[in-house]
Amino acid sequence: MQPATPIPGTQDLLFEAARRLRRCEAALCERFEAAGYAEVIPPAIEAADVFGPEAFRALDRSGKLIALRADFTAQVARIAATRLAGMSPLRLYYRGSIVRRVPPDSGPIHERLQAGCELVGAAGPEADAEVLSLAATALHALGVKGRISLGSTGYFSALAAAAGASPRLAAALNDAVDRKDLPTLRTLCEREVVPGKAREAILMLAQPPRLQTEARELLARAEALAPSEDALQALRRISAALAAAKSPGAELEVDLGEVRGLGYYTGIVFNLYATGSPRPVGGGGRYDTLLGRFGDPRPAVGFSLDLDALVPLAC
Amino acid sequence: MLTIALPKGRLQKPTLERLARAGMIPDEEPGASRKLIVPAGPSARFVVLKDADVPLYVERGAADLGVCGLDQVLESGADLLTPIDFGFGRCRLCLAAPRGKSVSAELGRSLRVATKFPRLTSQWFLRRGVPVDLVHLAGSVELAAVSGLTDAIVDLVESGRTLDENGLAVVEELLQVSARLVVNRAAYRLKVEELLPLLEKLG
Repeated sequence: MQPATPIPGTQDLLFEAARRLRRCEAALCERFEAAGYAEVIPPAIEAADVFGPEAFRALDRSGKLIALRADFTAQVARIAATRLAGMSPLRLYYRGSIVRRVPPDSGPIHERLQAGCELVGAAGPEADAEVLSLAATALHALGVKGRISLGSTGYFSALAAAAGASPRLAAALNDAVDRKDLPTLRTLCEREVVPGKAREAILMLAQPPRLQTEARELLARAEALAPSEDALQALRRISAALAAAKSPGAELEVDLGEVRGLGYYTGIVFNLYATGSPRPVGGGGRYDTLLGRFGDPRPAVGFSLDLDALVPLAC
Repeated sequence: MLTIALPKGRLQKPTLERLARAGMIPDEEPGASRKLIVPAGPSARFVVLKDADVPLYVERGAADLGVCGLDQVLESGADLLTPIDFGFGRCRLCLAAPRGKSVSAELGRSLRVATKFPRLTSQWFLRRGVPVDLVHLAGSVELAAVSGLTDAIVDLVESGRTLDENGLAVVEELLQVSARLVVNRAAYRLKVEELLPLLEKLG
């Protein structure tokens, strides 16, 4: 018999590694509770349609498709939209592991430990700012020096719509923006987008990020180019969140090219970076249409932390 | 401190020239000794790698940035920023077959294709809905089609002479390749003060 080891993409945590994880979780829970958030513990398996195709799926005894938890936010949205329907605002937090099918050669492991917060039923920029500030507080609580990069998928969608981009072109533009690939972005724009404000604004998405203190000029330039009311509103939401957010322990910056997030994000989106980790250590955003999928359309915003990445950095 | 992944081989010289113009000069000629890490002044250093390994070093943060061909960026599947196209190291990734031989659906079976680029090749055929039987080789890919191991090959073509001399011809182009600057996603945010001036000079 082969010696038994954990499945690639999973791991055992022993002794000091386990102690460290629990200490970090405790520090985070304390901050989340202090901010008025209450813990929810969703089940490890759900009906498969709660998650996307990234979930591990199986058939239950009656032949119904079920899935291992691939995303806490979708579960919290399900809970908020059903058992807690109509109760606003809701401040909920969670911790535990998610499992995703990802190509094993591309780094991120299958099972990830997470903790995160969701603010449900609050639509305004002050809710965006609350969640941004709480994410920064969380990094600070772990003793991690970090940077929060703020953008908006809503802004990108508005630009793509104003440019009349087909879904295929929008996906190609999104990919080029996400990679800061200015040569490809230029080629795509020259070939497939008519000259005008929308094209100029799309090309601006590959601009380097600006720190909170210097972001006003970047946002003002983008506002001057805004090709539609939707685009202008998305930019004003970034400005308003930025103005209201306090970020002790983490620097806040604006990157209009920060378009990466989960498929259900509709407004601001942000990623967390920390010295010592080669990939983001967390992220979040506004998802105003997700609860509607479970029958209780309400706005929401939240973030999650990647504890596998953060715990080794925490002091 | 910035760590720069420098590719060995044909990209090394033009890469060093472009970096030198941006003020990034190694303290000694990389490759002159057996040293794998070469400092470049007080605030940067080069790690010297095979170009196929550059994307993973940068993705996993052992290097903050690096230079390699677009073929290697895409074949690695690494999650990277690719802000600059240097324009040198140009070649094409092509599907090639023995001259006059059919590589279409007329075969009535899966097309057998040999390549050093299994990810790019399978993605390209998948998008076209063509079933392939991939043979992943380490080198001398042309030989696979010439010797009858496979129906066709997917490989880099520079002048086309090697193909020509072996009775092969390009059927279709999969990708235009040139050298790219690749940057780690977190380094781009966390070392922005060091990186941006360099990127501006390189761009």
